[in-house]
Amino acid sequence: MKFKNVAATGAVFVTVALALSACSSSSTSGSSTSAATSTASAGVVSTLDSSLKGTITAGGSSAQANAETAWTAAYVAQVAGVTVNYDKSQGSGGGVTNWLAGSYDFAGSDSPLKADQQTSSQTICGTGGGLNLPVYLDGVAIIYNLPGVTSLNLSSATIAKIFNLSITTWNDPAIAADNPGVTLPSTTITTVTRSDGSGTTQNFTNFLSAVDPTDWTYPASNTWPIAGTSAQKGGSGVVQAVGAGAGTIGYADHSAIGTATAATVNKVAFSQDAATAAFTAGATTVPTTTGDLSQKFDYSKLTGATIYPIPLISYQIVCTTFKDPAQAALTKSYVGYVASTVGQAIAAKNAGSAPIPDSMLTQIQTSLATVK
Amino acid sequence: MQSAPTSSSGSADKTTSSTPLGSGGSKDPTAAKRSTRVRPGDFIFRGLSTGSAVLIMVILAGVALFLIISAIPAITADWSTNDQLNTGPTAAFPNFWAYVGPLIWGTLWAAAIALLFGAPVGIGIALFISHYAPRRLASILGYLVDLLAAVPSIVFGLWGIIVIRPFLLPLSDWLNANLGWIPLFGGAVTTTGSTILAGALVLAVMILPIITSISREIFLQTPRLHEEAALALGATRWEMIRLAVFPYAKSGIVSATLLGLGRALGETMAIALIISPAILVSVRLITEGQNSQTIAANIALNFPIATTLQRDALIGTGLMLFVISLAVNSIARAIVGGGKGKRKKSGKPGEPGPLSQLPSGDAATAIALDVVAAPGRAGVVDTEPHISEDDVEGAGK
Amino acid sequence: MSVLSPRIKPSGPVANSLTSGQLPRFVELYVLLGAAIVTGLVMLLVGFSLVGWLCLTAVIYLVALAILSSVVENRRKATDRVIRGLVTVAFLLALIPLVSTLATVIVQGAGEISWSFITSVGAATFDPNTLTVTQTPGALQAIVGTLIITGIASLISIPIGLFTSIYLVEYAQPKQWLARTVTFLVDVMTGIPSIVAGLFAFSLFSIIVGPKAFSGFSASVALSVLMIPTVVRACEEMLRLVPGDLREASLALGVSKFSTIVKVVLPTAIAGLITGIMLAVARIIGETAPIFLAASFTDNFNANPFDGPMQTLPVLAYTGYAFPGKDIAASNASAWGAALLLVLLVVILNLIARVIARIFAPKGMR
Repeated sequence: MKFKNVAATGAVFVTVALALSACSSSSTSGSSTSAATSTASAGVVSTLDSSLKGTITAGGSSAQANAETAWTAAYVAQVAGVTVNYDKSQGSGGGVTNWLAGSYDFAGSDSPLKADQQTSSQTICGTGGGLNLPVYLDGVAIIYNLPGVTSLNLSSATIAKIFNLSITTWNDPAIAADNPGVTLPSTTITTVTRSDGSGTTQNFTNFLSAVDPTDWTYPASNTWPIAGTSAQKGGSGVVQAVGAGAGTIGYADHSAIGTATAATVNKVAFSQDAATAAFTAGATTVPTTTGDLSQKFDYSKLTGATIYPIPLISYQIVCTTFKDPAQAALTKSYVGYVASTVGQAIAAKNAGSAPIPDSMLTQIQTSLATVK
Repeated sequence: MQSAPTSSSGSADKTTSSTPLGSGGSKDPTAAKRSTRVRPGDFIFRGLSTGSAVLIMVILAGVALFLIISAIPAITADWSTNDQLNTGPTAAFPNFWAYVGPLIWGTLWAAAIALLFGAPVGIGIALFISHYAPRRLASILGYLVDLLAAVPSIVFGLWGIIVIRPFLLPLSDWLNANLGWIPLFGGAVTTTGSTILAGALVLAVMILPIITSISREIFLQTPRLHEEAALALGATRWEMIRLAVFPYAKSGIVSATLLGLGRALGETMAIALIISPAILVSVRLITEGQNSQTIAANIALNFPIATTLQRDALIGTGLMLFVISLAVNSIARAIVGGGKGKRKKSGKPGEPGPLSQLPSGDAATAIALDVVAAPGRAGVVDTEPHISEDDVEGAGK
Repeated sequence: MSVLSPRIKPSGPVANSLTSGQLPRFVELYVLLGAAIVTGLVMLLVGFSLVGWLCLTAVIYLVALAILSSVVENRRKATDRVIRGLVTVAFLLALIPLVSTLATVIVQGAGEISWSFITSVGAATFDPNTLTVTQTPGALQAIVGTLIITGIASLISIPIGLFTSIYLVEYAQPKQWLARTVTFLVDVMTGIPSIVAGLFAFSLFSIIVGPKAFSGFSASVALSVLMIPTVVRACEEMLRLVPGDLREASLALGVSKFSTIVKVVLPTAIAGLITGIMLAVARIIGETAPIFLAASFTDNFNANPFDGPMQTLPVLAYTGYAFPGKDIAASNASAWGAALLLVLLVVILNLIARVIARIFAPKGMR
């Protein structure tokens, strides 16, 4: 990150000190990943220019809503002259649509820009188009409500069969085979899915169609493709419905499940470490334009006892060339802070997300430096 | 000038909504123009009123135009080959009509169930407040109902989730077990309660305050003389309501019900939160996976994720909601219009008045019938004062 | 009695038929108690459930009263009693969800509402040492936003709607094309999905002020689109109910049309007009979707309707439930708090409106 303003030097020291203190405090509070990665190289540091003034208008993905709240609070605490308005109600599609119309400085989206969106972004971003920057990492949790069964393990294939509605009772041999020694009742399975389009569904169906294409013959999609499930609005709706009915099973962002019980997937329970490990093991960059950092998961590599098999990525999408240089400076500063080790630690602590590995954060900073 | 009154009353017969009063006024400005009594207040006021009407026309036509222009690309596109429309929420539908068809059904179905529960109860409450409850109690109750109109739909949604859903579960189980052979109650019974029955019940509660508040005001406006005449003639309270209140309030009740229906058709958040939807045509009431989706909820659920063309498709479904509202309103206006015609006819001399519907097995009725014929007619003539006014105007010519 | 009455008619003594053959005064109460006890005993044998007991009691009460009344009195009176019973039952039936809804809001929201919740802006404070972000609930930004957005929407909609209904009732000829078109459009627009109105307003303002068109004012315009048809519909109905005699009496005295409308027609209909307008306000004050689209979302305080995103109470309630923070219970609590505040706000507005109605209403009206 280069800043022309020399007045920022003071802020640099403050931020470095922050980053260091973050390391020490987070290691004591148990978030070992961020501590481990950041102690290695003091992490990726973003310098904040506390003299910036203005308003950042953004919106999109509700998955990163809590992280955005935390980032905003932390950022505004250090750069008092900036107001950040992140509209989490828009959803990924609304965020991208508004961003393409020039209403937003950046969009939050659970899926990177599609080819045609990348093309149309040239009208607001110049020929460079937009950059997809992966800043938020979480996992899709499989939550269930089965009185008497306190821990449950499901293999990828069993999950596919439950969600394609071919397994209908809890004492099905396939579930029993995944859970030796557990007494399963004959309760009917009620599969709870999302009724609204969402990135969670996209990531979950990506997983299903990659790991078990024989059972899961439906396309990966951001809306649930099969009728006959109990469809609920929003992650909160799924969590509520799973809590309300016995014999239910559903999927939701792990950071939003609250007190619901999550099953282990292929014997791996979700943890922030396991999600970061999944990113390191399986994510590859598939750029749609120069400097773009769209990620694609190779689910066949997401095996092993420490890798959570259903990760979920969310992006911040920015222009390569802003129409208004002032907004460019503001947005670069904010996104840079988000994509720093401290920023990721803040999200991990306050929103329950998993930190993006430092190697990727460095790439994000490099891409961000090209933004004008 | 003899023809003037007849032609005027003829036109009033055909027009639908309470025209006697309106047309009475409408003739007047022409008269005012001819006479020398044109006052600036009149002129400005008339201009303001007409201007507002024109403004509304412009605004609403603008909205309609905006929708049509937005929706056309999605309606005309080939959904199976279009890159944007063959993924996500609009996948699996060959064209716009295959997508919107089940949604239209779902919208009408949910609103119909809601109206079935909501309208009679709503009118019943209004009647109770206006004609049965003690005066002091009535004003408190009226206020309570008005208060309910203030509850935002998100709250109704949450209330539906935490109260209505669990409340209906035993009923659903029972209906499914005992009456499962009726298609309405068939299918795999729900376990979480997110059924169209739950959604429609909440919808019914939501439209109650609208129907009740307006009906109540209208019932209270019934000329007291009509009511007292009926009572004095020995009519029971119900007969008084049937003969004096209902005919007077009919168009208002229909209007109130239509406003309620408008809300039911367009309600978004509560439905989206409560019902577990699927885009299919189904009459099942208590299943989890076979609830027909409504247009408004479908827009709300898929709008955030939709791409540009998918947005256009959703706006297109919104346009269909317009068409539905229009159709429903037209049908209702036709019904009111038909009722008006009958009421007029019954007032004609020689035909039995409305009170002739009193059963004739009773001394009181026998007397009532004799006496009432005249007041009954008088009451109807009462609402056609424009005839005489036309006469006056005609004479002025 | 029903057997007797046809014989009485020729013989004459009418007074008898009015006094005799009546059920005792408190018969309905006794029947109700009887029905409740009988049903209760039956239910005790089969298995008791409160809802079933109430429903069955109501049915048995109505049937018993019908039989009793038609035997002792006559069919007309029986109908009357049954209808009275039905209306009362409908009322009690409806009271259950009404009370339940209000009770839910009050019970869930009362714990959250405090002076600081009302008077402070919701904020998140960041502790740089622990990297912890602490949320403090507050609703001031939402209260101010609600009042401003709804206020502007009402300022736009009420005059336009009222004048239009005056036009339709007092000035337009029923067959005039303008009147018919307006009625037609109002019919169509009562079914407008709220989200579409928001989209319309935002698109409109994007054209006028550029892409960053999020503002409270554009949300007000969106709400006006929803509100105007409701105001027209309700006011039109109320104005039509004003007896024609009153207008003619006034006109016959040489009073101008303008004065007749302002001094006679409007005051006569004022209670109904206020009810209709308050219904329309209540309908839009709880909207969320158009606010999201036209005014976007913010947690920051903003009292300028012409610049930047604004928050409203229903939006606060919706986001608290739909996108809860890490502490889901706390988010839901502040959602209920916002919902209760909204209801209270409407209560206050309603009271003010009723006072206004009382001041302007002519004396001697009920």
